[in-house]
Amino acid sequence: MKAPLQLWPMMCRILAAILGGYLFTYCFTAALARLLPLDRFDAALVASLVSFIVYLAAILWVFATHSLRRVALSLLLIPPMGLIGFWPQLIGTLG
Amino acid sequence: MKQKTITQSMSWLHTWCGLLLGWVLFAIFLTGTIAVFDKEISWWMQPELAQNELDQAAASKTAQRWLEANHGNAASWNISLPTERYPALAVSTGEQRRGERTHLDPLSGEVLEPRDTAGGNFFFRFHFTLHMPRTLGIWLVGFAAMAMLVALISGIVIHKKIFKEFFTFRPAKGRRSWLDGHNASAVLLLPFHLMITYTGLVIFFLIYMPAALDALYGGDRNAMFRDGRSDAAQQQAPLGRERGERQTQSVPAELLPLEQFIAKAETHYGPGALAGLLIDNPGRINAKVTARPLLGSRIELTKGEGMSFSGVTGELLQQPSPSRPTLLTQRVMAGLHFAQFGGYPMRWLYFLCGLVSCAMIATGLVLYTVKQRKQAKGSRALLNVTERLNIATVAGLCLASIALLWANRLIPVELAGRELWETRVFFGAWLLSLAHAAARPVFVAWREQLYAAASLCIALPVFSLLDGLALDSTRVALEVACVVLGVALAWLAWKIPSRACTAPLVKSRPARLAGAEQ
Repeated sequence: MKAPLQLWPMMCRILAAILGGYLFTYCFTAALARLLPLDRFDAALVASLVSFIVYLAAILWVFATHSLRRVALSLLLIPPMGLIGFWPQLIGTLG
Repeated sequence: MKQKTITQSMSWLHTWCGLLLGWVLFAIFLTGTIAVFDKEISWWMQPELAQNELDQAAASKTAQRWLEANHGNAASWNISLPTERYPALAVSTGEQRRGERTHLDPLSGEVLEPRDTAGGNFFFRFHFTLHMPRTLGIWLVGFAAMAMLVALISGIVIHKKIFKEFFTFRPAKGRRSWLDGHNASAVLLLPFHLMITYTGLVIFFLIYMPAALDALYGGDRNAMFRDGRSDAAQQQAPLGRERGERQTQSVPAELLPLEQFIAKAETHYGPGALAGLLIDNPGRINAKVTARPLLGSRIELTKGEGMSFSGVTGELLQQPSPSRPTLLTQRVMAGLHFAQFGGYPMRWLYFLCGLVSCAMIATGLVLYTVKQRKQAKGSRALLNVTERLNIATVAGLCLASIALLWANRLIPVELAGRELWETRVFFGAWLLSLAHAAARPVFVAWREQLYAAASLCIALPVFSLLDGLALDSTRVALEVACVVLGVALAWLAWKIPSRACTAPLVKSRPARLAGAEQ
């Protein structure tokens, strides 16, 4: 926070943590709920309860990681997870 | 920020997370701590109600007699039975909105008119909505709770290095003492801080994280919970639909005495474990009586559950079924947050733990200003704003909370919309505190506001002594607790000297209290 030069990387990191982290957690939870070998209700509940810890870990990881590039690359994980979580809906809209 | 080590980046995160959301978190934690005793505060705020011998059967008889005489044709009756925490009988009918209820004397059936009051419910609602529109408030509180978790975990990471030093508390050593106090209150109750924050998020888990709900149930919450009911409940479901069809019939039939249902439900829930009765279609052939248990006969939070009987034949229609393990997990977590189990000892434990959480947040906020004041390069403007906001949050909220209790006694009973005025006094006092904190020198403002809150706390029993209002064990306990808290606040204020000589020396003293509070 000393020099204005470092303001932008910091803002990116904060945005990546709060919004990126939430989106990551959202898709992760959807995918986990879909993949857990449990009854539908149990899977949904377990995935939802775990989600807060996932979000917490995501936020901490974004701030602990050295390079911003790695943070940006990790955002690429979001679409495949969302795909796993929502593929029936996706097929429904496409077909 | 050049990130050199994990400790440094976590330290940065801890500082900013804690500072920017510390004010909101302090408000959430303090009102939550007060809300542990919400029913007791409501009871204290309605001195027109007097404690009778606790007899739910007699009270139900009174309620039935009064409702049959006055609301025989209502679609439903709702009866809140007197309980240990709130020993009043209140009834309402289906047409009335929630909250509009009639208080009855449990023995004579005479209509009582207690004053309209914001009640302890004000603190409860403020705790999770911040007195904002419900959805917005819940999201803000959830955001703050996530920040609390981030601050806690990043705090543990930076604390790791100084773990050894933790065991030496150095009072009267300026910044060192503030750090020690902050660390001590954080570490000693770390499991509590983590538990209360995480379970708080779990209560509204589908609001905060609807991903699984969206993915598997298309966002239909009712579908999800229909799915989640145990098999026993699903077998009973057809019964309910059948009853729904019959609801069109309105053949008159006499309702059995309600005390019978209390006795029946108590064999399942245990004696004295009922909170109220809901009667659908009273006086008709399809009458249904649902007995609601008190929250808190066990840890699991079973809101909105009950046992239902036919009101005419007395046969059991629906029995509460045990939750499936996953749902039980969620409900136990919610129950751990609501603290409705374990009676008064558990309630006091939660209250004291909550106070330590507040102390941790407050010492953290002060620690920031103490550190900044020593650093010449820090931003003076930010430091100034932080100091003022610290005063308005920590001392100001204490002042506003006790002002609400005073408003309850001072605002005329007959004033229209007086519960609104009570909350206006609360927010008015808080605004005044902010203005005062902005206008006065920092140390003077701290002292004056803490003294003001302390004297309001200590003088609270004056009303009971002067007016000779009905006193019972609950009300006396509340007033004694206020006096004790008032003495603690006065001691804190007394530890802040009148003149700020040198910052580190001055600030060292209150640190002892922050540390000693554990």
